[in-house]
Amino acid sequence: MKTIRIKKSVRFNLAGRPSVRVEDRFGVGNVAMVCDGIPFIKPRLLVEINDRIRIGTPLFEDKTRSELKFVSPGGGTVTEVNYGPRRVLESIVINIDDDEPHENFEVLSTAGIASASRDDIIQRLLDGGMWSCIRELPFRNIADPGLVPAAIWVNLDGDDPYQPRSEVYLKGTLSFFETGISVLQKIAEPVHVCAAADASLASNGRARLVTHRVSGGYPANDPGVAVYHTRKTPEDNRVWYIGGQDVVRIARFLTIGKYPTEKIIAVSAPEADDCRHVKTRIGAPLADLVAGAYDQALHQWITGGIFTGTTRSKDGFLGITDASLMIAPALRVRELFSFLRPGFDRPTYSRAFLSVFNRSPFPIDTDMHGEERACINCGTCTRVCPVDILPQFAYKSIYADEIEEALKHGLLDCVECGLCAYVCPSKIELSQALIAAKHQYFMERD
Amino acid sequence: MLKRIESFLLAMIDRNRNRFSEKGKWGWLQPLFEATESFFFIPAIRSRTRPFLRDSLDLKRFMSIVLLALMPPFLFGIYNVGLQSLTASGEPAGFIPAVALGLWIVMPIVIVSYAAGFFWEILFASIRRHPISEGFLVTGLLFPLTLPPTIPLWQVAVGISFGVVIGKEIFGGTGRNIFNPALTARAFIFFAYPAQMSGDAVWVAVRDSSGPVIDAVTGATPLAITALAPTFDTIESMLTASGYSLSVMFTGLYPGSVGSTSALCCLSGAVLLVVMGVASYRIIVGGIIGLLLTGLLMNLLAGPESMPWLAVNPVYHLATGGFAFGIAYMATDPVTAPGLDGARWIYGFLIGVLTVLIRVLNPAFPEGVMLSILFMNIFSSLLDYIGIRMHFAKRVPNV
Repeated sequence: MKTIRIKKSVRFNLAGRPSVRVEDRFGVGNVAMVCDGIPFIKPRLLVEINDRIRIGTPLFEDKTRSELKFVSPGGGTVTEVNYGPRRVLESIVINIDDDEPHENFEVLSTAGIASASRDDIIQRLLDGGMWSCIRELPFRNIADPGLVPAAIWVNLDGDDPYQPRSEVYLKGTLSFFETGISVLQKIAEPVHVCAAADASLASNGRARLVTHRVSGGYPANDPGVAVYHTRKTPEDNRVWYIGGQDVVRIARFLTIGKYPTEKIIAVSAPEADDCRHVKTRIGAPLADLVAGAYDQALHQWITGGIFTGTTRSKDGFLGITDASLMIAPALRVRELFSFLRPGFDRPTYSRAFLSVFNRSPFPIDTDMHGEERACINCGTCTRVCPVDILPQFAYKSIYADEIEEALKHGLLDCVECGLCAYVCPSKIELSQALIAAKHQYFMERD
Repeated sequence: MLKRIESFLLAMIDRNRNRFSEKGKWGWLQPLFEATESFFFIPAIRSRTRPFLRDSLDLKRFMSIVLLALMPPFLFGIYNVGLQSLTASGEPAGFIPAVALGLWIVMPIVIVSYAAGFFWEILFASIRRHPISEGFLVTGLLFPLTLPPTIPLWQVAVGISFGVVIGKEIFGGTGRNIFNPALTARAFIFFAYPAQMSGDAVWVAVRDSSGPVIDAVTGATPLAITALAPTFDTIESMLTASGYSLSVMFTGLYPGSVGSTSALCCLSGAVLLVVMGVASYRIIVGGIIGLLLTGLLMNLLAGPESMPWLAVNPVYHLATGGFAFGIAYMATDPVTAPGLDGARWIYGFLIGVLTVLIRVLNPAFPEGVMLSILFMNIFSSLLDYIGIRMHFAKRVPNV
């Protein structure tokens, strides 16, 4: 077992980490297929309103790569097809039937997996809509099955304090996880399994599966960070990665023959002290996951992590990639002359507040804590970037449209963690600029 | 009570928001309104994109810490100016009269500096539609602290105007300027009005017996004394003979610019800046190393017939003149300093080297630190550029 130490990362001490309690909220009613979290696809709709569909029926496919299919997380009737600006498909809402029908896929036993060919397994995953779990670095797009990556990375833990913990979602699913790893080994070798150094491995015998321990704060456990710190040649950059929970889902899909809709979501509403895991289904309505109502004028509903996620309306649904829901107060209470106060309760990376002496977890809010100003070249962003990009200079080269210069800065190494924007005292959207430039580069290359 | 003041102010700000909006009657003064509002309350703005967590540190806090760190030299400067004035006019120098007189002399300079500077700041912000930068709060105080107490107020206004407009705004405002605005202002005054900025007759202000007019009397600074040194004498003995022992120069109770005489106060400010993470210790330490090493090198060159500055103990370089003030507050201005750690070492080091070179080899400009910082400001982008290229060479390519 190798150890990867990430020095440049931030250890957060924030209130509202989900407890290990798992609550069952496998609701019935509506579920939705939300498209906006799926990177770089142009959906072509395959169903219409009032169509009767099953769990696993393809809802849409990608226009440019039609082998990529996205299947229904629920069985019932299509009730809504929502479009966003420029008629981009946003979501498809399905009203679930009482006796939810599902598509039957061919079952593959554990022995069958061992003897199946790579192409066979890939074809099954594509047909079942499971392939989109496997992503490709550096662009984090859905992997191209025609390529063979240098490695597949499986990261069990997320360092974002509001992501599901591996000891929760691997409880009782370890055999599936093992099968999933053998499936991945069919697709490409080697398969690296990373676990956070502080996560306990002893409890459920997954120690023998783990190949790397990663120590460090957020975002040390991002696959991009591990790749950056272990790569030797440029070819090592081309790797695939998949989340730990999706490994379990892939194994479920292949060995049971049904599209797995169950997922464990970390839910945090720190204000109400309502922080736990919820066992629910993909595409569940967000309002079903929390007890109590939260006013949207005062709270932000964030899915997919506080650093990497998106905001959704409280009437929205979980996306297929989302593993967390956070309900955070949107704004800080406005205090007179707050820039002069000692700031004992203000979380900060800097040493500019007395909170450096405060060891208790800090309550969070999604306020900017200041206004946007020009970059003063303080260099704080360079101290936190886990992949040694110099964000302030990379940002300026993007600002000047010097994309080649930005690439030399390591634009494609960017793990999109958002730490540079988090620490920026000028409140510049550094990570957003880097991510946008990276996306644009992806769209424009060959 | 505080809560009631808070809610009253918030209500007043919200009531007037429309008048200062884009279409409102006072729309052209929107930056002023925003600056006033955010002076009292940091605006509540929710994060629109990821990450949804933002650090509590903002530029206002950042600059407030610099202001806080400027307080020791500022307060000491007020006392010292009053003290020197009372001593020069032969009056008994008690603490309270010294502070009162110091305030009387210094505050007009500070007020004029802020008023004239803010005029340009607001004008440019209103026309160019950018927010009023907190950085000026620092510039507006740094500049007066580097001036002699006898400076005519109109020169203060001219100087800060030059510093803000030519030193900063024509480059596009804070963050884009090449030179430190406060130093640009001082350099302008230094070369444009040398009679009021140098020599030995400007450093002590006394009140004219006929009224509030401030007059200057002779009171040489340590650096001015050393300029008179004949070649057979050493600087150390001359300074000691004039009452400027190393400890006096370190504590700063001697005639000089308003706020930059005391190395001790500058040191305490520098410690505060470094501890709170606002200034880079690399620049400060690099500067001190550069100064001492070059001072030692100069000692090696010294002979019996050479200029007396060559033989001076390098520690005297640290305590004399404005070096401590310059390296603590001017050189650490992040905008005009390099952004990379390695480049910051070099930048600070070369400031130290140049300060000694200018002081020792060119006695016409005893205040070498101002010129060396401005000179290194020009090179900070180059240092960053070299640092970035070296950084690129270390990366495994990923395109």
